[in-house]
Amino acid sequence: MSPDETFLERLLAALDQVGLEALIVGSTAAVLQGAPVMTQDVDLLVRDTPLVRQKLEKLGEALKAARPAPVSELSSALTILGGELPVDVLFDALPGGLRFASLKSRAVKIPVGERTATVATLADVIASKAAAGRPKDLAQLPILRDTLKIITALEK
Amino acid sequence: MDALSPDELLRKTMALRDQLAPQLPDIDPGDLVLILQSLLRPIGTGRRFFLRKLPSGVHVP
Repeated sequence: MSPDETFLERLLAALDQVGLEALIVGSTAAVLQGAPVMTQDVDLLVRDTPLVRQKLEKLGEALKAARPAPVSELSSALTILGGELPVDVLFDALPGGLRFASLKSRAVKIPVGERTATVATLADVIASKAAAGRPKDLAQLPILRDTLKIITALEK
Repeated sequence: MDALSPDELLRKTMALRDQLAPQLPDIDPGDLVLILQSLLRPIGTGRRFFLRKLPSGVHVP
């Protein structure tokens, strides 16, 4: 396994250790489904409950990183910095009205080493990036849409 | 998961390209090969996909 794959496995182990249910979303979810893109962090989607907030504190410790901190004053998202790579945490929904429960119902299970990741589908990643509309999201859309077309053609 | 040898990766990529290119004429041929190679190198085969920021500010795999 590469250092990147090993980091993901360690993150999944840390999630298991603290008992936190999280979906991998964003570009890392796309990579896990074969898209040829790169990213600077891992995006997790979790439910927003007091217990989950407590578990996020423990996740920071498990990753030997800093406590989760707000990304900005304009966002409810948190970021866990100081570990091997940044881990961003989003709550309840992604842009485009994609709620945790619906994303989870469609999510795919992907083995990473000895662990298994629960990953938002590539179609949901595309929908969320299109709705987010940030330049860095829009820039990835053509290659992600082509990847989905190719996967769909291979499945026929 | 074992990675394909370079020769096997090339052979499978080109076979799938020949199969899919007529069905997907709107996809750039170069992108088709790039995506197929990526799909044939799933997680666990030594993929690199994180960019790490160096102290200089440059991002590298």
